[in-house]
Amino acid sequence: MAVDPQMMDPEALEAEAEAEYDLLGVEGSFWTATRLLIGIVTFVWAGVAFAYFYLRESDTHALWRPHGVTPPTLLGTLIALCVVAGAAVAVYGKYTLLDGRQVDWGFAAWLTTALGLVAAGLQIWELTRLSFLPGLSGYTSVFIGYAPLNVAFILGGTYWMETTVARAMRLRGRLATTGGAGASPLPDARLLRANVDGVTYFWVYMALIVATFWALFYVL
Amino acid sequence: MAMTEEARAGTGQHGRITARERQRNPWLGQSVITGFAGAAIGYLLGHLFGNIIASNYAVVKASGVNNVSICLGLALGTLGWLAGLGAFNYAVAKILGYEPAKEEETTGWQRYFKMTLDHKVVGLQYLIAVLGFFFTAGLFAEAFRTELLSPYSHFIGPDVYLQLVSEHGTMMMMMATSLVVGPFGNYLVPLMIGARGMAFPRLEATSLWLFVAGYMVILTAPVYGGFNTGWTAYAPLQTEARGGMDSYLIGFGVVGLGMILNGFNQIVTITNLRAPGMRWTRLPIFVWAMLTTGFLLTLATPVLFVGAYLGVLDRTAQTSFYVNAHGGSSYLWENLFWFFGHPEVYIMALPGFGLVGEMLTVFSRKPLFAYKVAAAGMIGVALLSFFVWQHHLFQSGINPDMRPLFMLDTELISIPTGFIYLVGMGTLWRGRIRFTLPMMFSLAMYFNFLIGGITGVYLSDVPVNVTVHGSFFVLAHFHYTIMGGLVFAFFGAVYYYMPRVTGHMLNETLGKIHFWMMFVFFNLTFFPLLIVGFLGMPRRVFEYAPRLQGLNAFATVADYLLGLSFVVFVANFIWSMWIDPKPAPHNPWQSRGIEWQLPDPVPFHNFDRLPLILSDPYHYGEEDPLPVADFRGGGALAALAEAGVAPFDAYAGRPEIAHPASHISDPGREV
Repeated sequence: MAVDPQMMDPEALEAEAEAEYDLLGVEGSFWTATRLLIGIVTFVWAGVAFAYFYLRESDTHALWRPHGVTPPTLLGTLIALCVVAGAAVAVYGKYTLLDGRQVDWGFAAWLTTALGLVAAGLQIWELTRLSFLPGLSGYTSVFIGYAPLNVAFILGGTYWMETTVARAMRLRGRLATTGGAGASPLPDARLLRANVDGVTYFWVYMALIVATFWALFYVL
Repeated sequence: MAMTEEARAGTGQHGRITARERQRNPWLGQSVITGFAGAAIGYLLGHLFGNIIASNYAVVKASGVNNVSICLGLALGTLGWLAGLGAFNYAVAKILGYEPAKEEETTGWQRYFKMTLDHKVVGLQYLIAVLGFFFTAGLFAEAFRTELLSPYSHFIGPDVYLQLVSEHGTMMMMMATSLVVGPFGNYLVPLMIGARGMAFPRLEATSLWLFVAGYMVILTAPVYGGFNTGWTAYAPLQTEARGGMDSYLIGFGVVGLGMILNGFNQIVTITNLRAPGMRWTRLPIFVWAMLTTGFLLTLATPVLFVGAYLGVLDRTAQTSFYVNAHGGSSYLWENLFWFFGHPEVYIMALPGFGLVGEMLTVFSRKPLFAYKVAAAGMIGVALLSFFVWQHHLFQSGINPDMRPLFMLDTELISIPTGFIYLVGMGTLWRGRIRFTLPMMFSLAMYFNFLIGGITGVYLSDVPVNVTVHGSFFVLAHFHYTIMGGLVFAFFGAVYYYMPRVTGHMLNETLGKIHFWMMFVFFNLTFFPLLIVGFLGMPRRVFEYAPRLQGLNAFATVADYLLGLSFVVFVANFIWSMWIDPKPAPHNPWQSRGIEWQLPDPVPFHNFDRLPLILSDPYHYGEEDPLPVADFRGGGALAALAEAGVAPFDAYAGRPEIAHPASHISDPGREV
């Protein structure tokens, strides 16, 4: 807040308080929305995981996974590494932002964006390098179902990160005099930090998901 | 012309067009016209891509049906529809770091054909959309009931009969999930909690237009040969069905996305945007219903989405999720479908109970009996609903040893449901009941739901379930709960809230004709069908035992008259809104709800000052009750001071400045 509330008339004070109350509501909305989004995405992945284990346990006509059927392991591992690295960089970036090092955060955010794009690109490429047909077995079906969803959610996280860092760049001048994006008390900065917190959380979550499915498809 | 940052951001309402230009021509900018154009372009592109990709596939050559082009056409058509309406303008502007312009107030009837961020407009748009869904699906029912007039002579034949039954069931289920959450949830929740709008107004608007897109997508099914699977679309029928199944899968996916967004928005809004003093224990019961339904929508619907997505892959990418011969399992669909399908029952039931809870207190002039029990009951129902889906598989695909477990937890869910029911009865007990139209619909809802609920308890028992599985008994049971419960509550709420929403009362005489016809002929349609089912008539067959003709013909004639009752409703609506509109008095039902205390019409941002909530809205029949809210404001400062938010914490314990917030000892929402 730019003005000392003790000096205000009651009308202006109440208006200022309402603005703060509204802003806290919006910040809270970001917090809740991020966690809820993760809940929604979890149920999407749970549906895929259920298909994996259901078909694996059913092993109908002994066609869960014919011997030797596996997607390109190197590509799959690279995809997982990109997402995990993207999440690690995003976490590092978040703490540099809170430390007041906005340039470092910007670099980290762009790097995460690039890693997301690479991961999505590799996932699409992997789909063109498969040595099996989609309907060959239960395993191959689940993999074909998993891959486009993985692309969609990685691209979703990448979009979120890109829009956040683009917004930060546009706000840089406006926030510079009040402590920068990491410390400014202005509403724009607070909402930006709420966004950074949310997108970082989402990337960490996606890293866990990608690692889990990497284990299901390439290790188990 | 130089563009401001806000103008560049665009929202579908703004963009390069100035407010003055829009005032001159309200059709400037994006609207359903550009939406239809976008849908047509998207559909044609999708169809073209599909033909390029898959026209040489052996399966396409053999069957003559290109599922890839159908699915891509419908999916890109939906995206084009949203793009044409302006749903992606902001998302694209964000890539360049722009934030949206503030929504301006718009007037004129043209705003109802645009993407708008005003939750009150969205609520009314949803109302028209759900009614369109409902009446279209209802017409299908009239047609196939005609086929059932006689077991001998045929009106439409088996194939069309099954297509109509499937379309009817699917559309009704799609519609019913949003019947209350869409119109009333979006319109009322911000007003009831003292907020100036929904947390994510663009998502709110997008959920509406996805719902409309789903309506159009599912109506394309007959063009592609329809689908004969019933609304459950069990595999392997699903995999073998004609192109209309693509419309089913894409349509359910599209509507499902809209449901997720709607539920998501409800939860975030209720959790974070409550006015000062709006504690959890002061939330109107309808808001509790929206909150619990929101969780069901956001957590159960993604599983349906996955199920439909896997089905699309089976039909386009030739995967074998539901194909037993290639390592898949048809039971996989059944499990995914019912994991959504059973919570869906409560997605439909809870909002109805929330609405009648609001109306019962007003028209019996009594506080809501056992308010906390009602809220707890809703939470209990929502939680338990995730654990009962296997009772749909008692006859198929379940380990018999698991049956007792699912029988038990299905029976358990009747306990919190019973709580909610008894709260209604307790509210009525010794009340000063006014038999207004909304009250009559509410009472009818309790009568119908009792029959639906009790037959449901029977159906949860494995022996009875095995006996009547797949029969008209099951059909009549769920019509008693969904139509007898939710739809009656919905129409009661339409009569109740129309004065608030439009400023006009619906005609009471026509309303009473509508009510009595609907109530009597609903029961005369579906009670005989309970008996027909118990006598062994299976669902989804166009011929039946001749001894059942009497009951079937009776039900069909009653169904015609039930359909006629909706004609009366539509006539009433048109008469009262446009032909002979009568201005409604302010707060005609003498409700204490915050939503009724606002001026007519409700201001664009609802509240000039954030209201300070002082009590729950149910203190009817009490002498000198505390006002529900103080609309002069003051609550925000008090709430921030109490919560120790700097620099407002300096005012903690100084009620003379934080007037009139000295009333509250609890800031309500944590800040």
